[in-house]
Amino acid sequence: MTTLPKWNSHHIEDVEVNLLLYALKERYGYDFMGYARASLKRRLLELTSYFDVEHLSQLIPIVLYDETVAQTVINHIFVPTSDFFRNPVVWDYLRTKVLPQLASFPRINVWQAGCGYGQEAYSLVILLHEAGLLKRSRLFSSDINPLFLDKARLGCWSIEHKPQWSDNYLQAGGTGNFTDFFVETESDIRIRSEFKQPIEFIQHNLVVDDVFKEMQLVVCRNVLLYFGNALQEYVVNLLTRSLERGGYLLLGRAEYIVDLSEKHPQLELLDGVLQLYRKRIGTS
Amino acid sequence: MYKMLVIGLSAGGIPLVKRLLAALPKEYSLAVVVVAHLLQGCESHLAHTLGAATDLPVTMARDKELIVAGHIYVAPPDYHLRVEQKLPHTFSLSEDKPVKSVRPSIDVLFKSAAEAFDSSLIAVILSGANSDGADGMVSVKQLGGLCIVLDPLEAEFNTMPDAIIAKVDVDYVVGVEDMMSLLVSVDEK
Repeated sequence: MTTLPKWNSHHIEDVEVNLLLYALKERYGYDFMGYARASLKRRLLELTSYFDVEHLSQLIPIVLYDETVAQTVINHIFVPTSDFFRNPVVWDYLRTKVLPQLASFPRINVWQAGCGYGQEAYSLVILLHEAGLLKRSRLFSSDINPLFLDKARLGCWSIEHKPQWSDNYLQAGGTGNFTDFFVETESDIRIRSEFKQPIEFIQHNLVVDDVFKEMQLVVCRNVLLYFGNALQEYVVNLLTRSLERGGYLLLGRAEYIVDLSEKHPQLELLDGVLQLYRKRIGTS
Repeated sequence: MYKMLVIGLSAGGIPLVKRLLAALPKEYSLAVVVVAHLLQGCESHLAHTLGAATDLPVTMARDKELIVAGHIYVAPPDYHLRVEQKLPHTFSLSEDKPVKSVRPSIDVLFKSAAEAFDSSLIAVILSGANSDGADGMVSVKQLGGLCIVLDPLEAEFNTMPDAIIAKVDVDYVVGVEDMMSLLVSVDEK
């Protein structure tokens, strides 16, 4: 063997991450190779203490032969974090500037991608309800993870969030009383059933599954963070193709579309701070 | 040749980081990243506050943004900020759970920056009332980066600098004035 360069342990971990991702892809068809690597690596390395192994590579044979372990690993890759009316200024803008535009469509189709535990999907329902548009709206809320979808369908969260969410709602220009949308118990708040009906929760993988057609509004916040550049470009294309001309795309506040004018000429940036885009009228 | 400067701070650190950034010359050849724990609601103004103190451009770091020398980036509130190893270096954000009950975490940024920049990294800890940053500084030291901590006597809250000094054999424990000249001099070499 010739003289090897000095290897730090984090370089060895990189090799282990690659091997594990290869195993997940070949064995189960879940392809995380194109995901943003630094966060993915950290999340996978957390599994070593969860499974009480010294090295990540020790999980590879178990993942290959034990489907439930593989599912645990896959579930650990996704982090469902959201709040009702997270970043209130964004929701206020939707309420005052975007919904009045959508009101001119006979039917309003909304796709919220990456629903996690459902907080943003139900925030959209409340917004549409207060704008008097809910009756002619259809909402599709999707996530790759079936466990999250079950939780989102249930529409039930710990009551400890109530003060913060209530405050967000008011800051977002909410005119009613946040608690009116929920049934409260000692420990939980549960969304009222009439606000569940307008949403269809669907399992959908942005990387392999098809477009949603003729959407007027696509909300995809803090999902592109997971993807590397090439996958982001692919997914933004998918979101754009899902939009009707003149339709809106909303991303997370700290996200942005890389090389917008070159790679995605169909989209125009309406507001860089809010990360709101619109599909140009003169395109297909 | 240093390429990146990361600065971590918590309670009492804002006036200090303003002085440090004000001392940096125009066309500074390092990219600068500031991660601070702040009260909810105040955080989004940090880029603006720091921008008023320096001639260098200051913006909130965005996911997948290309990291440019001579630019100051501020970690956005409520996300962890990391530096990607893959060239050209970019930022990535995540919503992973808080580390030591904070997000953004200084540990998370420092560790990823150390892995991306090895000995081309300078890490600075200012004032703070918790121990975030100590584990990150361990990685910086292990991978050959330059470790600088504010003299705890000059920190309004010394828990953070004390925690670093207790855990890592840092290269410099200095006051703000000396830290300013140090950060300017590394660019002149």
